[in-house]
Amino acid sequence: MNDPVWVVVLKAVLIFVILVLYTLFNIWFERRVVARMQHRVGPNVNGPFGLLQSLADGVKLALKEDLVVKAADKLVYVLAPILATIPAFLAWAVIPFGPEVRIPFTDTYTALQLTDLPVGVLYVLAVTSIGVYGIVLAGWSSGSTYALLGGLRSSAQVISYEVAMGLSFVTVFLYAGSMSTSEIVAAQEDLWYFLPLVPSFLIYVVAMVGETNRAPFDLPEAEGELVGGFHTEYSSLKFALFFLAEYVNMVTVSAIATTLFLGGWRAPFGLAQVWEGANDGYWPVLWFLGKTLGFIFLFIWLRGTLPRLRYDQFMTFGWKVLIPAALAWTVAVIVLRKAQQEGQLDRTALLVAAGVAAVVLLATLLLPGRRGDEPAESEPADEPDFDAYAGGYPVPPPQAPHVPTRPWTQTAIAHHARDKEDSDA
Amino acid sequence: MTAFWVLAPFMVLAALGLVLARKAVHAALCLAVVMISLAVLYAAQGAPFLFAVQIVVYTGAIMMLFLFVLMLVGVESAESLAESIPGQRIGAVVVALVFGALGVVGVAQSVTGAVVGVDAANEGGNVEGLAALMFGPYVLAFEATAALLITAVLGAMVLAHRERLGRRLTQREVAEGRLQDYAHHGTHPGQLPTPGVFARHNAVDTPALLPDGSVVETSVPAPLRARDQVRPGDRSEVDAVARELEPGEDPR
Amino acid sequence: MGEYAPILVLGAIAAGFAIFSVAIAPLTGPRRYNRAKLDRYESGIQPTPVPEGGGRIPVKYFFTAMMFIVFDIEIVFLYPFAVAFDALSWFAVLAVLLFLVNITVAYAYEWRRGGMAWD
Repeated sequence: MNDPVWVVVLKAVLIFVILVLYTLFNIWFERRVVARMQHRVGPNVNGPFGLLQSLADGVKLALKEDLVVKAADKLVYVLAPILATIPAFLAWAVIPFGPEVRIPFTDTYTALQLTDLPVGVLYVLAVTSIGVYGIVLAGWSSGSTYALLGGLRSSAQVISYEVAMGLSFVTVFLYAGSMSTSEIVAAQEDLWYFLPLVPSFLIYVVAMVGETNRAPFDLPEAEGELVGGFHTEYSSLKFALFFLAEYVNMVTVSAIATTLFLGGWRAPFGLAQVWEGANDGYWPVLWFLGKTLGFIFLFIWLRGTLPRLRYDQFMTFGWKVLIPAALAWTVAVIVLRKAQQEGQLDRTALLVAAGVAAVVLLATLLLPGRRGDEPAESEPADEPDFDAYAGGYPVPPPQAPHVPTRPWTQTAIAHHARDKEDSDA
Repeated sequence: MTAFWVLAPFMVLAALGLVLARKAVHAALCLAVVMISLAVLYAAQGAPFLFAVQIVVYTGAIMMLFLFVLMLVGVESAESLAESIPGQRIGAVVVALVFGALGVVGVAQSVTGAVVGVDAANEGGNVEGLAALMFGPYVLAFEATAALLITAVLGAMVLAHRERLGRRLTQREVAEGRLQDYAHHGTHPGQLPTPGVFARHNAVDTPALLPDGSVVETSVPAPLRARDQVRPGDRSEVDAVARELEPGEDPR
Repeated sequence: MGEYAPILVLGAIAAGFAIFSVAIAPLTGPRRYNRAKLDRYESGIQPTPVPEGGGRIPVKYFFTAMMFIVFDIEIVFLYPFAVAFDALSWFAVLAVLLFLVNITVAYAYEWRRGGMAWD
């Protein structure tokens, strides 16, 4: 890709502007959707539908006092938000927004992608791993216990889930035969990879939520335990930068998911068949941003639905469930695909095997769950005489009769009946 | 070549910072700068895969380990300047001179001649070429890496792992244990009482008072009690505040 | 422009924005001194002189970082293998599988010894 300088600068500025606007939109979108899920209205005052709320919040943050804590390591403390922000934007250099288009009012043709590296996806992984520095250094330099623990948790969390994420990419590269984002999109012309690679896709989706420190994996910012986590001691625009970086990272992982598993900028299923121009010109940008927004909605949905995990549950899930699953699936794909290529396995046999595996997997869901080492429920006759003080604190016997209706309900019914009699009289 | 001359001063400065920095985390940061610059140099010389891997593995993983180890040792700890080995300085100077000479000779050899062969190596794609070499002639070295990695994990476990004695208690068992304590020793099974409400600077350094005016010791966090930062929170405290506000006048 | 120059351009824009924000923050906000504001926040108690435990962290994080390095290197080896998969033979596949088995030995050992158990 050899663009003239002005095209490169134009595209870079556009990416920056799109990301900042998308972040402002996402903050508003998240607040509105979560509000909807919680039977509230959400921000609706500033601008149409409250769309300007996040802008107003940003201005408000800029007008707040900029504090540098006494105990902080000044240089690193100031450097940390910058270090968190730059990589968040850099990751977008290799994301393809669309095919080759003509820039309006000129005769210049260019791909809707800033640059195309042969190691595109690996580059994104590399850049995100630099972004972790911002978090861990923010936690360290604040000189505060909460911030330090938050920073540590956050970095441990990101690196734990990055392994599963990296493993889920392997199968995609296997199918596409490339690490370049544009070539992966091109390879998905017939079949989007989330279909043949369902397990990889699911593992990636879980890992991306863990990677971005979002609910239910938002332990670094568990406000009940760690106040604000790594950014406890940050205020004003420094805090705003962390906030921006978090939301941009959210969009980044969504964009990667779109590119690797959902056909990138390609029009949704069937649309390209009925409408010739769906994959030409600037329309793909719409499909791309739409698919990304779908993932953002998933993030918000998760936040509105699931409670936060405990730290040990979180780490156990990452290291003892996700990683073994990703490893096993990767090995299976490697072996089966090689066997298929070498002609030791034909396509129908593979499909039948996949079908059988899916049925077996579904059947295991129907099996009764194991209840640990708890003894099976014994017959009432075998039970020794009930001792209310056995646990150290008086409790009612399990067979005690329960009052069928709550007293206040009965009172309410009685009142209602009396009111009715009064009105009848 | 441009990239080299732009980055070289930064790398030298960062390397000096690495040696001279007082705080261990600053030194680690300088090291990260050197490593990222190195990655950029790889990119400039037509090795995109090495560029990304240098950042992912060194800057991402190994530096993170460094930072964790530093924090393990203690965030505030600065380097000790005491010599532990006799003749350390002389030895260091000798080794540095030898290593420096080696470096100069090595660099001189590679700089004087023109570099050839990058295009040939990247002919079928940089990554593909690498794969052909790695899973062809160098497959033994590749397998040996796995052995190295196992050694690293075993070393970490042997050095730092502490075996867990006994089973981990479940939440239910902890709750039942609390109630047993209550039954046999009368220990309060629930939460500790909340602190008092008369707050000036901190919210939790004032103890709660019982109806008879006596202080509830457990309502103040243990660290504050240990540090002797508990305020009395009784009438005299109120009077003291009032006096501060209006000096020279009796508050009542 | 080459492959990498656009990255530098985008990086320069992002860096300019971030540095500008950090630099402008002290100018746009008010300045009202209060001793408590400059203290570390510790839920209302007098901040501890040194973070909990002398600023030292549990050794568990060290294991996590170590395992991360191991898996990171494994992934880095798997990527070129996956990209060049069609051109490679069963020999390479077996080499990679052997490599994976070796890594899994370390992984299983740490799992068994309880290096991955948090509480």
